[in-house]
Amino acid sequence: MKPEFIQPSPEELALLRPDPLLVEQELDMRPEFAERLAAATVGAGRVYWRSRHDHLYALELGDFGRGRPSAASVYGHWDRFEPRPPEHEIDADLLDFCLWLAETGGLNPSDVAKVAQFAGIKTVWPEGSVLRTPEERFANIPGFPYEPKYVDMEGLRMAYVEAGEGNPILMLHGEPTWGYLYRRMIPTLAKVGRVIVPDLIGFGRSDKPVAANAYSYKAHCRWIRAFISALDLRNLTLVCQDWGGLIGLRVLSQMPDRFARLVAMNTGISDGRGATPAFEKWRRFSQRAEMLDIPALMRSTLTKRKITDEEANSYQAPYPGKEYQMAALVFPRLVPNRPDHPGAYDNKLAIEKLSALTLPVFLPWGDQDAITAPAERVLRKIFRNSAPPHAIQGAGHFVQEDAGEELAESIMAWLRTPHAAGK
Amino acid sequence: MPQKPDWLEPMFPWRQHSLIVNGRRMSYVDEGPRDGRPVILCSGNPTWGFLYRDFIGPLTAAGYRAIAPDWIGAGYSDHPRVDAALTLAHHVADFVSLLDQLDLRGFVVVGQDWGGPQGVGGALQRIERLSGLVLMNTWLFTGLVGRFHASPKPWTTWHAPLIGQFFMKRHKVLSQHGPSATTARGMSDDEARAYHHVFDEPDSDHVVLTWPRTIPMREGDRGWADMQAIERRLPELSQIPTLLLWAPGDEVFSIEYANRMKELLPHAEGPIEFDRARHFLQDDRGPDLALAIVTFLDRSFVGGRK
Repeated sequence: MKPEFIQPSPEELALLRPDPLLVEQELDMRPEFAERLAAATVGAGRVYWRSRHDHLYALELGDFGRGRPSAASVYGHWDRFEPRPPEHEIDADLLDFCLWLAETGGLNPSDVAKVAQFAGIKTVWPEGSVLRTPEERFANIPGFPYEPKYVDMEGLRMAYVEAGEGNPILMLHGEPTWGYLYRRMIPTLAKVGRVIVPDLIGFGRSDKPVAANAYSYKAHCRWIRAFISALDLRNLTLVCQDWGGLIGLRVLSQMPDRFARLVAMNTGISDGRGATPAFEKWRRFSQRAEMLDIPALMRSTLTKRKITDEEANSYQAPYPGKEYQMAALVFPRLVPNRPDHPGAYDNKLAIEKLSALTLPVFLPWGDQDAITAPAERVLRKIFRNSAPPHAIQGAGHFVQEDAGEELAESIMAWLRTPHAAGK
Repeated sequence: MPQKPDWLEPMFPWRQHSLIVNGRRMSYVDEGPRDGRPVILCSGNPTWGFLYRDFIGPLTAAGYRAIAPDWIGAGYSDHPRVDAALTLAHHVADFVSLLDQLDLRGFVVVGQDWGGPQGVGGALQRIERLSGLVLMNTWLFTGLVGRFHASPKPWTTWHAPLIGQFFMKRHKVLSQHGPSATTARGMSDDEARAYHHVFDEPDSDHVVLTWPRTIPMREGDRGWADMQAIERRLPELSQIPTLLLWAPGDEVFSIEYANRMKELLPHAEGPIEFDRARHFLQDDRGPDLALAIVTFLDRSFVGGRK
């Protein structure tokens, strides 16, 4: 398949580090190959494309006075100062590229595929690099009777639960929770639609890559897009909080045709400005902790309701050990908190696209949350015709846990309004 | 990873570990208690972990975990032959990958020469986990170009286009005559060999040419944007205990650089000056510097505790 060549903006390129992956100094040993390649890439110079993993690559052709390309390099472009993504993703992308190259240059792509197989090149997660929480850890989860279902993507298993029928309502949790967070809202909303609650990769019952570089803002968005495509969800109502919003809002900007309305609480989409002191404190704390004690964290963050020990422990269930917790450990540093943070540029583009959308938006907000308080105003600016402000009185950051039923009822009430119907 | 030769053992008895960073093998020494505060010893061009051999003993004895990585292209790490794989951004990303994979928290970065920009650049990416900073004869900023870096004799001529290949690659003026040519105390033949032998393999010394060409002297230079990205973030270090140790006898980073560093990091202690030392002060005054660092760390953190 031919890569779709693009021209990234200089602003984006300035945030990236070109990494030479394939370097060919004797391209002209097969003149016909070089000429076909030059023709397919619109002459010598540099062309860029995005892979199926959303990574940015460039092919650079050099012409040293031969009248045809005589040297070529392929670069991957990664966040400037950050480790590059897992090697198997790069291998998979380069193999895609090589298959196209073969076809273009007059070789047989199936030979390339067979040779790669013969060479033992793996384009999937290496053995031991992905953990799966044992089933028995979820044997005793109160108030969450739903049978888990699974979607496979990129060799990872993403878990979700669903209830009800009708138009889909996609509920995205954030850091450091899992679908369990929405249990007090599912019964209410399942009366009006098909409620679908996935666990983000690295959380809940979903698979958990162990390496830090497996997790990026882009990867989480890619996985959620793959989930939406796999279930072929359309006419979606997106309900999101915390990282569920950072991911969900960017995904909304990337596939807006799939979404019919948006409910966002205590979340945001940051272009690198406006990080709160409360967030900076959490970020520092989380990066120093050996392992996050999530039950303690939930207890201390809830403002309205006391949860039982069983409920609190359910939040730790996905993590039998600290090696299972990498996704939660990485999340705080993926939040774009500076304009030159990887992710700030992508969010800037997302915000531009979101601002042009006209879908109905409802922003019920737990009013006791120091981390996301300013973000509500920012979202109101992005979604200018959102429903009037609606505070969930006394609820904190985890508004679904603090006031799940009340929140679900207020969403139901909004859904019955003409505003929610887009009128 | 190449085997360490027998003659090196008595001077450098520590085991070389390794892991893969950004697709290349990075070797490092990792000594001391696992629960000790990690102190990462970053070396510059054209040296490797050997430069810190006098630091590892005192640090581990004081309860710290001493980690001395060889940056990609040097020491026992991979020596890529592609210039584009050896930019400052690459070296920083390699360092961050090491931090991630060793899962270091509360770490201290010690940096000299290019170990400064590499170590601090990496630490800024994981600033929440950074606890302390020791900087020696290095720089983290653009706008100050010392006489050494600007002078054609020998520096800019040594790495000029094509001419650089003649001096650096054909005559190995840095890789085989680097630290040994600037020693203040007089280095033994075995010590000189320890620095140079890692570049014995033909074409293994790409970095000694790429580093000089990365020095940001004017806008648009290879290392300019990366160095500026680091400089812009220096105010974030204002809460990090920082110590400046300096050899004014260094013809590369004169005391002017220390003063500029102090302007940018006004909370830093020092610069404490060390005479009888030139550019590679860790080699000239190793035990004295190690003592200064241990004293500073003990004072800042009460023992080796994290």
